[in-house]
Amino acid sequence: MEMIKSNKLLRIALTKGRLEKDTVKLFEKLNFDCTELKDKGRKLILQIPNAGIEVVLAKAADVITYIEHGVCDIGVVGKDTIMEMGGQFFELVDLEFGKCRFALAGKKGLSFYEGYTTKTIATKYPNVARKFFEGKNMDIKIVKIEGSVELAPLLGLSNAIVDIVETGSTLKENGLEVYEDIAPISARMIVNTASLKMKQKDIEDLIRKIETIL
Amino acid sequence: MRRFNLVTPEGTRDLLFEDCLARRKIEGSLHRIFKSKGYCEVITPSIEFYDVFDKNSRYFPQEEMYKLFDLKGRIMVMRPDSTIPIARLVSTSLRDMERPLRLYYNQNIFVANPSMMGRSDEIVQTGIELIGSSSKRADLEVLCTAIEVLDACNASSFNLEIGNIAFFQSLISHLNASEAEREMIRHYIEVKNYPALNDLLNTFGDSDVVRALKELPRLFGGEEVFEKARKIYPDEDLDNILSELDCIYNDLRRLGLNGRITVDLGLVNRTDYYTGVIFRGYIDGCGEAILSGGRYDKLISEFGYDIPATGFAANVDAIAKTIGNDKAQSCSKKPISIVYGEDGYVIDSMAYFKRLINDGMPAEYAVFDDINDVRSYADRKGIAEIHIVSDKITVEKVGK
Repeated sequence: MEMIKSNKLLRIALTKGRLEKDTVKLFEKLNFDCTELKDKGRKLILQIPNAGIEVVLAKAADVITYIEHGVCDIGVVGKDTIMEMGGQFFELVDLEFGKCRFALAGKKGLSFYEGYTTKTIATKYPNVARKFFEGKNMDIKIVKIEGSVELAPLLGLSNAIVDIVETGSTLKENGLEVYEDIAPISARMIVNTASLKMKQKDIEDLIRKIETIL
Repeated sequence: MRRFNLVTPEGTRDLLFEDCLARRKIEGSLHRIFKSKGYCEVITPSIEFYDVFDKNSRYFPQEEMYKLFDLKGRIMVMRPDSTIPIARLVSTSLRDMERPLRLYYNQNIFVANPSMMGRSDEIVQTGIELIGSSSKRADLEVLCTAIEVLDACNASSFNLEIGNIAFFQSLISHLNASEAEREMIRHYIEVKNYPALNDLLNTFGDSDVVRALKELPRLFGGEEVFEKARKIYPDEDLDNILSELDCIYNDLRRLGLNGRITVDLGLVNRTDYYTGVIFRGYIDGCGEAILSGGRYDKLISEFGYDIPATGFAANVDAIAKTIGNDKAQSCSKKPISIVYGEDGYVIDSMAYFKRLINDGMPAEYAVFDDINDVRSYADRKGIAEIHIVSDKITVEKVGK
């Protein structure tokens, strides 16, 4: 059934894509042998032989799932996914790459908070949006959108969006602007609660090494 | 309308054969430990009034409780925990009993988990409560019992970590922070979110207590933790808490479990529920703690009876899942013979069947009406002999 967690190796789940590349760069600075990681083909489980680390590649939300269930010890995942999904794990290190922010945005020049009608928010992150407006004691209607959220206010589906903003150029090109920043985002290293206790030395050693080069 | 008559609700499952055996085996060995130490079993109702858990709503958020209504419209819950009902029980029915009370339980608790997380909504817990003593001796008795439980799991390795919630409570009392800020700090320490904790604490400026709180989640490991902890914030109250914990740690070390007892001063879950020594147990191969517990001296007083207590709960399902099923051990012995009574001899054949079993022969009783059906069934199941009962007993070998 499930893959048995190896006793000796540290198994690390990386978010596929940019965070994966940034993590590989980090590992290379530590002189980890990333040959397999850089020439992975279609393999999903890869070895770093000289560090006793096994790397698993997964989608962001799945990284959290694997860590929570303890089938991986350590995960590299964006704060955006952590904020949306929540869960039980330790969030030990801010890796300081993959930086961007959550923001509330909408059509340029409109004042979002004006008026008493319930606003509609389009977002890929319904939990983040709900929590943000709960903090303001504001009732809102949330529409979950899977791709290009910027379309929703343009088409008149929503008053605003809650989304990740990096440079803001997509917003600008579509006549949108940031109304308010919600939270900064960067890549985090998360650790399964039992793993930290059962493999304390290995995990602490790795974190110490990473912290020295950040 | 779509009917859901062929599936179980999400978060629940059927337990079959080996699963049941594994669960019963664990329950059996744990209960032997509990009983040998004088703990007596209690069973509380699966359904309780919502009010029983209402005061503790912080640990039992209403969205995580299964709720229903009784015939008078009162809110009921499927119990999300066993310790609170036992606190209710101790303050009422067991109020006049000689103390200490040693109770154990083995029952399901119910948690409404978010969908699609692969978690169980129905969890079997077995645990003990030692009620009526605030002595270190009681803490040690419960801790030693927890170690026996971890040992009985037969995992390749285990780890028991201890902490004391009073350390955090005492330390943070030196920080001039609002209730909400304290809760945020507690939360970041609990989840060991170093970056967020540092950011939040930096808003309080630089002081000894701020630096100490930043260090707190990192204070876990072996004996060296005590050394470090003593330095982070010199204070008489904190020193006393540390000395007490150090003492317990060293007592436990005398059990010869080198390296398997650790300390985590950043263990700060459920701060208002626990009041003193707290602990968690891990076994190799399981991604969550398989047991957790601690001292809860104020909980029972919420039910009008001020009495100290300590205890723990072990997650039987998590243990069973981790140490696996003994596949070799099947549910019942494979029958060697099958007993068939001819018409008019059914009662005689049952008596004969019972005699065979009493003599230790693994046998099965045939419920077919036709002897030919018995023959083909025995052949398919690999049963060696058919014992046919009429006015005499005929033994037929099965197969060619």
